[in-house]
Amino acid sequence: MTLSSVSDIDASQPKHLADKYAIAGIGETAYLRGSNRTTRSMATEAISKAMADAGMKASDVDGMLSYSSGDSTFSPFIAGDLGIRLNFYMDVFGGGSSTEALIGIAIGVIEAGMCKTVAIFRSMNGFSQVRIGGTGARSAVPVKGDEMHSRAYGWQAAGQMFAPTFMRHMYDYGTTPEQVAMVKVTHSQHAARNPKAYYKTPVTVDDVLSSRFIVKPLHLLDCCVETDNANCLIITRAERARDHADRPQALIRSVVGRACKPRIDMHYQHGPISTVAGHYAKEILWPNAGLGPEDVDVTGAYDAFTFTSMLQLEDYGFCKKGEGGDYVSNGTIRLGGKRPNNTAGGHLCEGYTHGINMVIENVRQLRGEVDDTCPIGPDGKRIHTHDYSDSGTCRAVKDVNVTANLGWAMPGTGSAMVMVKG
Amino acid sequence: MSEYLKPLPEPSIDSQPFWDGLKEGRLLLQTCSDCGTVRHYPRPMCEKCQSMECHWTEATGRGQLYTWTETHHPFHFGFKGELPYILATVELDEGVRIQTQLLGGAKVGDLRVGTPIEVVLDRATDEWVLPYVRLVK
Repeated sequence: MTLSSVSDIDASQPKHLADKYAIAGIGETAYLRGSNRTTRSMATEAISKAMADAGMKASDVDGMLSYSSGDSTFSPFIAGDLGIRLNFYMDVFGGGSSTEALIGIAIGVIEAGMCKTVAIFRSMNGFSQVRIGGTGARSAVPVKGDEMHSRAYGWQAAGQMFAPTFMRHMYDYGTTPEQVAMVKVTHSQHAARNPKAYYKTPVTVDDVLSSRFIVKPLHLLDCCVETDNANCLIITRAERARDHADRPQALIRSVVGRACKPRIDMHYQHGPISTVAGHYAKEILWPNAGLGPEDVDVTGAYDAFTFTSMLQLEDYGFCKKGEGGDYVSNGTIRLGGKRPNNTAGGHLCEGYTHGINMVIENVRQLRGEVDDTCPIGPDGKRIHTHDYSDSGTCRAVKDVNVTANLGWAMPGTGSAMVMVKG
Repeated sequence: MSEYLKPLPEPSIDSQPFWDGLKEGRLLLQTCSDCGTVRHYPRPMCEKCQSMECHWTEATGRGQLYTWTETHHPFHFGFKGELPYILATVELDEGVRIQTQLLGGAKVGDLRVGTPIEVVLDRATDEWVLPYVRLVK
């Protein structure tokens, strides 16, 4: 079967919204395994914190977006609890790659005059209720629709569905488990400087390779953590963000949402499965941003598994096709390297949020407001040492002007965003 | 027959002939009646020519390995007794790929992209026959 004809993507859409919108507020709960809280409770906390961060009160927020897989609480309940009267809301189905897509939707509805400021949240008990790894209650649901062409034979969890892509990448390009293990190693070193990370202990390549197989070639430590948490981003026009808070703003330069490979219901049917959605998404992301991968200071490449970061960094053009294994293992992605990835520890170490905490971290980096383990000065702020050696305490990257988030739903679907400091 | 603990398909109007074929011992592939394109899994429209007319043709049951993994973790209790098991994506000679389990005690270390396979039909319950693959002997 031949690949559908999608080579002529029009990436010439107007760029006049670049830098016109900002992530004005960020909020997060603790990252826990066993929150003993409802998703409603966690969502209200995260949004309340994001509003405080943005310098906004309930009457300043009139839009709400959330995403879930039926494992969260819908916006009408959350808004009511916060005293927010909504002019717009929508709760969409989906997990990874929703964050950047919803940011684009928020810009669109504000631009259409439907509301002025949108709170985007994801609240989930990904460990204690609906386990994201696909065990427990999530595995026992009845086979429905066209899942019957995989589940009956034992295909169902994310690791089982994604690992064949990695397997084929190893085969086609010689990528090794040792190389992708460096993603976990690096993120664990980053998480060691993040007081909020769930896993703060650095690990080694040997630790990853000697952990038990989950889905060969994936080891336990190639897989992300399952946690309970809520995160929020507040999106509004840049001038409104500045009116409410006097600080460097994280401006949205370019966004692409849920860009797809052909036939994503069965992407492995079509063309090389070692290529992922970023191959297409990059044709929108970079032209609209007016810059390219070489201009990016910090990345947030979705690490549901070690190899998902690698596949995305490669297909978004941070290295040549087939060289992702080298890119993630040659020092580039670690703090102190040329372009650190997931400086808070990502899904492998900080906590699993379906992508939104990686955007929060890049906002912090752009603002210069990273909360690491550096000493606190007389003004109550961290004195960043920029010491990234093994004994260092810093995870604030020096002079961050451009960040990129690469969101992953599955090999066939991805979202992405470029932010700039402004 | 002992209790069957694995998930079982719920056929749709689009896929019913595929499952009926398995019960008769045949692996049927949906074929566009207008342009002849073979497609799998069963679905209402030909993505090449958008025809909704189709017929079913019997596959040779031969193909090649495209990729594979080996599951070591019991995601579903029904598969616990089979761990570890190999999941294979297979390119059939008809040009479509199927996802299933590789049976027959193959070792992952022996597998290569392009390794020849054949489809084997296995009776799951009184009602259900499911398609698997094994290495060509």
